[in-house]
Amino acid sequence: MQKVDGNRFVFNERLNAAFLDELFEGDTIYAETVFEDFLKDLPAYWQKVETSYQSKNMTALKTSIHTCKTLFGYVGFTDLQDLCQAFENKCADMTGDLAADFSILSDKKLNAQHIIENEYNRLRKYNESI
Amino acid sequence: MNKGPFANCPWMKTTCIIVEDIQIAADFLKKFCEKSDLIAVQGHFLNVEDALDFLDEYKPDLIFLDVEMPGANGFELLDKLTYSPKIILTSSKTEYAFDAFQYNVNDYLKKPFTYKRFLEAVKKVQAEMTLPAIAPTPAQAPVMGSDTDFLFIKADDKLVKLKKDDILFIESMRDYVKFVTAGKSYITYSTLKNMEEKLAGQAFVKVHRSYIININKIDDIRGNTIYVQGNTIPVGKGHRDELASRLNIL
Repeated sequence: MQKVDGNRFVFNERLNAAFLDELFEGDTIYAETVFEDFLKDLPAYWQKVETSYQSKNMTALKTSIHTCKTLFGYVGFTDLQDLCQAFENKCADMTGDLAADFSILSDKKLNAQHIIENEYNRLRKYNESI
Repeated sequence: MNKGPFANCPWMKTTCIIVEDIQIAADFLKKFCEKSDLIAVQGHFLNVEDALDFLDEYKPDLIFLDVEMPGANGFELLDKLTYSPKIILTSSKTEYAFDAFQYNVNDYLKKPFTYKRFLEAVKKVQAEMTLPAIAPTPAQAPVMGSDTDFLFIKADDKLVKLKKDDILFIESMRDYVKFVTAGKSYITYSTLKNMEEKLAGQAFVKVHRSYIININKIDDIRGNTIYVQGNTIPVGKGHRDELASRLNIL
């Protein structure tokens, strides 16, 4: 691990820190890259989610949510992955009203994006300091 | 493995391609491959179609294959392979595990996965690559009954007695074959060629490189498609004459 004694980077408690530690193995430079890529990629993927939701294209919605779910995993949002999976299953079953679920998911995604923005900035500063 | 003086020589490593539509996931895989010094990545493809073109030409040893991608999915790529590379499926879903077993994939990585888990999968594949191809053992290959009305197949950890007359058709699944009956399917470790030899001269005829059919079960034939109790079986060009000669056409 790329440890600095007494100054190890600790991920935000909203993230699955134990998993992220295992995933990055202390490589905070790579973690910074991944968080930056996440912030760069998510808006385009989420745009596809929005478009397919508005057009009620369930197949496209399922696919685009599936992609976002995978992305959330790489930045430690395992709980959000579960939420995406539940939504993906609803899309596949084509049952029930998706509006309430979609609203919750959109809020959580927005919140997640803020957390990752902060986390990315923290990682950048941390990496500059080591 | 390959950690000697030639560790950095691509020809000493297992060659692979990555088929993955999510860039972050593909980047992780590339990084892990590089870190392991065991795998040489020959290419990254965002979809099945592009990957198939490359595979036909370069035939890498191993494919890291995502399942859900825009367009064709990972299993469709497996259906179209013209050789038998090692396969490590990568998916964020565990639901595909059964399909993965049916397709005889070598390992299944749930995304996101750690370097430790990646290394386990790669080492497992490399160990399998160093072993000679194992022919089905007598216990694994179907065992014919002495009266030839039935056969025993090893499926679900037991020997299942299957009446030959109940078999609708047999489908090749690379190193496995699937016996399809009206109510159930059984997958066992054998080859279609082996089954063709064992069932020769009986009610079974090979109609396609991937299918042997029970003639008694055919409902009808339209063009190059055979219909059997709701299943459609293609008839290969090279098998049409043999099929025609076995049918009682008035």
